[in-house]
Amino acid sequence: MTTPVFDDEIAGKAFDARLMRRMLRFLTPYRALFGVCVALTIVLAGVELAIPYFSKTAIDRDMTLPYAIVTLDAPPSSGDALALGDGRYLIRPANVPEALRAAWERTGALGSERYAFEPEDDRAASSVVARNPEAFTPVPGGAIATQKDLASLPPRDLDTLRGGALAGIARLAILYAFALLVRFAFAVLQVYLLEYTGQRVMYDMRREIFRHVLRLPLSFFDRTPVGRLVTRATNDVAAINELFTSMLVNLFRDAFLVVGIVIVIFQLEWRLALIVLALFPLIVLAAWQFRNRARSAYREVRKQLARLNAYLQESISGMRIIQAFVQEAQANRSFLGINTAKFDADMRQIMTFAVFRPLMSFLSSFAVALVLWYGGPSVIRGGLSLGALTAFIQYVRMLFEPVLNLSEGYNVLQAAMASSERIFRLLDEPEEDRGGDEHVEEFRGRVEFRNVWFAYSEGDWILKDVSFTAAPGERVAIVGPTGAGKTTIIRILFRMYPIQKGEVLIDGRPIESYDLAALRSQMAVVLQDVFLFAGDVMDNIRLRSDIPEEKAIEAARFVSADFVEALPDGYATEVKERGATLSVGERQLLSFARAVAFDPRILVLDEATASIDSHTEHVIQSSLRKIMEGRTSIVIAHRLSTIRESDKILVLHHGSVVEEGTHEELVAAGGLYAALYELQFADVGSGGAASGD
Amino acid sequence: MNRITHWLWRYKGRVAAGFVCLAIVDVATLFVPLVLSDAIDRLTAGNGNLLVSGLLIVALAVVALVFRFLWRLFLIGASRRIERDLRAGLYEHFLALPASFYNETKTGDLMAHATNDIEAVTRACGFGLITVLDPLVMIPFSVGVMLSIDVRMTLYAILPLPILTIVMLTFGRVIHERFESVQEAFSATMEKVRENVSGIRVLKAFVQEEGSERDFARTNQTLANENMALVRVHGLFHPLIELLSGATLALTLWIGGGRVIRGAVSLGNFVAFAQYLSMLIWPMIALGDAVNVFQRGRASLGRIGVLLAVRPEIVEPEAPRPMQGTRIEIRDLTFAYSSADGVPPALSDINLDLEEGTTLGIVGMTGSGKSTLAHLIPRVFDPPPGTVRIGGVDVRDVSLAELRRAIGFVPQDAFLFSATIAENIAFGRPNASRAEIERAAQLAGIHDEIAAFPQGYETRVGERGLSLSGGQKQRVAIARALLLEPQVVIFDDPLSAVDAEREEVILANLREFFHGRTSILIAHRISAVRNADRIIVLDGGRIVDAGRHEDLAAREGIYRRIWTLQQAERRTVME
Repeated sequence: MTTPVFDDEIAGKAFDARLMRRMLRFLTPYRALFGVCVALTIVLAGVELAIPYFSKTAIDRDMTLPYAIVTLDAPPSSGDALALGDGRYLIRPANVPEALRAAWERTGALGSERYAFEPEDDRAASSVVARNPEAFTPVPGGAIATQKDLASLPPRDLDTLRGGALAGIARLAILYAFALLVRFAFAVLQVYLLEYTGQRVMYDMRREIFRHVLRLPLSFFDRTPVGRLVTRATNDVAAINELFTSMLVNLFRDAFLVVGIVIVIFQLEWRLALIVLALFPLIVLAAWQFRNRARSAYREVRKQLARLNAYLQESISGMRIIQAFVQEAQANRSFLGINTAKFDADMRQIMTFAVFRPLMSFLSSFAVALVLWYGGPSVIRGGLSLGALTAFIQYVRMLFEPVLNLSEGYNVLQAAMASSERIFRLLDEPEEDRGGDEHVEEFRGRVEFRNVWFAYSEGDWILKDVSFTAAPGERVAIVGPTGAGKTTIIRILFRMYPIQKGEVLIDGRPIESYDLAALRSQMAVVLQDVFLFAGDVMDNIRLRSDIPEEKAIEAARFVSADFVEALPDGYATEVKERGATLSVGERQLLSFARAVAFDPRILVLDEATASIDSHTEHVIQSSLRKIMEGRTSIVIAHRLSTIRESDKILVLHHGSVVEEGTHEELVAAGGLYAALYELQFADVGSGGAASGD
Repeated sequence: MNRITHWLWRYKGRVAAGFVCLAIVDVATLFVPLVLSDAIDRLTAGNGNLLVSGLLIVALAVVALVFRFLWRLFLIGASRRIERDLRAGLYEHFLALPASFYNETKTGDLMAHATNDIEAVTRACGFGLITVLDPLVMIPFSVGVMLSIDVRMTLYAILPLPILTIVMLTFGRVIHERFESVQEAFSATMEKVRENVSGIRVLKAFVQEEGSERDFARTNQTLANENMALVRVHGLFHPLIELLSGATLALTLWIGGGRVIRGAVSLGNFVAFAQYLSMLIWPMIALGDAVNVFQRGRASLGRIGVLLAVRPEIVEPEAPRPMQGTRIEIRDLTFAYSSADGVPPALSDINLDLEEGTTLGIVGMTGSGKSTLAHLIPRVFDPPPGTVRIGGVDVRDVSLAELRRAIGFVPQDAFLFSATIAENIAFGRPNASRAEIERAAQLAGIHDEIAAFPQGYETRVGERGLSLSGGQKQRVAIARALLLEPQVVIFDDPLSAVDAEREEVILANLREFFHGRTSILIAHRISAVRNADRIIVLDGGRIVDAGRHEDLAAREGIYRRIWTLQQAERRTVME
């Protein structure tokens, strides 16, 4: 019995005051709205509580007759009793004090039949009595009749006598309808306000997470899967919203309802209430047990489903291997095993619900039976009115739902706590260092690497003692085999990663001394794998900046990206599926236009290696030449023309600069560059490399 | 579709039993108001001993308890069984579909069929069925008793009930639509975050963080707006149901109250009447929902049916012929991935004769058709009839299992499963001994590294386990193929992520293994194939040169240029 409790603690604390405080901070701007929601919720719960009173009033006031006969030795000490002779008195039991009624109950003095009393001085009533003498028993000052007697009257006479009750019922029905409308209006208002608040809170959370993520250093992204960040900003936020909109508010409602119902039933009949409350621990225990089991069953189902989906996904990805190794039967067996485990988990969940839901219904019925058994005699003795008994039954049935809700709210709370912990851990990640406060209007464009050592992970040097200089306006080509560290040089220049040893200088100052935004905004990069964002062509040229359209178009024309104007919607053409509809060359031209639009002093290029048709190739070459004009450019070069026209060529191998010089010098040296040149650029009919000019 | 109908009908016995239990529960529940009515009338008549009524209610509750448990087990259990069978059937079908199918179909779509569509069918078979069966007993009985109590009261009181069904039907649809919009906006938000994280280098390089925030604000706002659009309908739904069901009670109070005062209906019957009315509300709502659930279930079933109707293209020969040895002959092979116009062939006019027990090296640039050639032999893709023969028989006439068991194939991308390293190596022979597994790993040059892992061969790899380097994965994949002791070995450049020196050591170790086996080695490094009995050079899908290493290295051509570069690289490394 105690294990589930420990289980909770292992699974994560259900309540952590520090996390809760941080979460509530997001609610602070909307506290007034939230307060209104809570108030509305309580009003609604009040209406809920009042509803059984309508039928109680109808039954007690209008649908049953008010008088009873008590047989006593002496006139009753209180209440306006009417002596009928033989020690019998006509009284209204509802007006008799409790203590006295209890005394009559013990002696059996109070009769169970109820009567209507029609006084002589009511003219309409006495004329009905006169017309139907067989239905009435004359008493001093009027006549009495039982419900059965009344039913024998002609309808018009009955309506005359019971007109008040009929009107009372009609008024009650109208009042009830009015209460329903109020409940409807308040409920709608409450849901809207609450959801609105929840949506605002989620909006703020997503905004803050997104803002923070964009400012994290690149090293963070290297070690964090994209999917995890997506989950933080979406699913985890939704789990917290659950807490605010469903759990927190319902907590007020359910607590209010439970307390309200208990108070009301004590008012109605405290002994009966005590009997029902004796069942309460049983209800709470059942709800608690149910909650624990339902949760662990649910977790098991989720776990098995995740396993199943993972296996399925892996099978689809690895289908070639399964088929190549003729392991279809084996894979099918494994899948059947997992599928069966999922089915078993489902069945366990069904069992849990199949036991507890009906059990709760049973307990509810049991409570009703108890009320009938104990309350019945009480009604006869007059201690409990018939209306009160039916109301009591309704309240007892109402009691179960909030108890179950409260126990289920615990799950929501726990999930929200877990999500908030993950979110806050992300928000606590240190942001990228924004650099020094050096704001330079315009770089001259001198780039220098001085004995730079760099490793992504400690000890695994990617760049080893790299030194080179690019004078303002100079063009430097970097060549070398894959994995030599070419791309890393670009990343370091943009200060995406801090270096371990050495210095990177721009215009003679270390890059760390510049304001990060100022530094990057003076450089532009064109990557081989052009990353296009969802949006139109214009968005992809100017990104999210406020560069005017004309300037963007000018940039596109400058790089001869004429194809844009031939697109169906020109610059407003949607870029679909990350640019899959555009050719490699077109994407490349777009990224050139992007770089030109930002008008950088230093241009960094990672040339595309993919083969491009000769026309596009020609366009790209001349565009490239144009955009590098007058700018310091550092190019990871694959094309002969780019390399040949460079002022300087660096040959990078295993993180070191192994050769440096102009094309002619390096070919003459007969080293690695010469061999590379031989393979890729000597005139062969086909192959990956393009022929250039 | 026959298979699907079979799955759906298989559990009709359980469904029938569930229905009987459900009916018993309904009847037991329906008797409670009668007991209550009788008790109240007895109270009005002055009989205060309600022990019998109480016991009766408890007895009915016990019956309901037992049969509620049973119907849940039978009916919901049947829907879960159908789910299980559907999924198993779908998976079995997946296993038979060829690589070309997986090239053309997104994994995400297949996953959606296997999860969302199956879920929709399950829901229709479970919830949908219950909401149809339940009212079958509930409505006639309740309405019958209500009519017997008072016809006029019944007519008035059930007036708003069909409105409930209609509200549910229409609201259900609108809610579903808006819910889909919310899901779409949610996915868009996920995609936006994903896109920005993926493009983070570009964003940072162009200092676009603030602009991205503004851009994200729009997506973020759309999500909030779509949610509110859903709330505007969904938020109305529950209160409206409460209002309508309340209205039936208000009518009962008014009409019924008058009937009681006039003595036409007993107070007990009035109370019972109100209870029947409240019992009718849920089935009336659910009935509306059931229509929607069935429609969605049917649409999903249709999609699953379409998927199951895809015929496996690569099939067993009708009359399989046994391979006579492992000589591989390729005659006039031209192959294109698609027969559509404008798709250039990946291979053209390939002619090749590989004697049993000899080694063929294949060299060429990326995209020259090396991998395609390797894939045609084990029929990952089907070559045209008569073009590829193994052991004197067209590969299309050999039984698939025999053909593929004879071939140890190591593809370029070393796909490993989420399992232990030992399980991955033993993938093709699950009952291989540890000694055999280790020997294969030793041959593939990975044993020492595996042994150095904390859990050795029991180390889990894949998403939840250790992530191996590219080179390690490749060598595990080689060990996996070696363990089969195949008669034919096909290596599709499986050491590309291993450095040249180690590649040579591994290949030297494997020389003995290759002895007597027919082997095809594809490599981007000449050093890996230089000892082959014969080497072909592919370019643009054609064989442009062939011969032994010494001959090829001696003449001008792609082969020699690659060889020169690789030698220069090695010199640089050594310096």
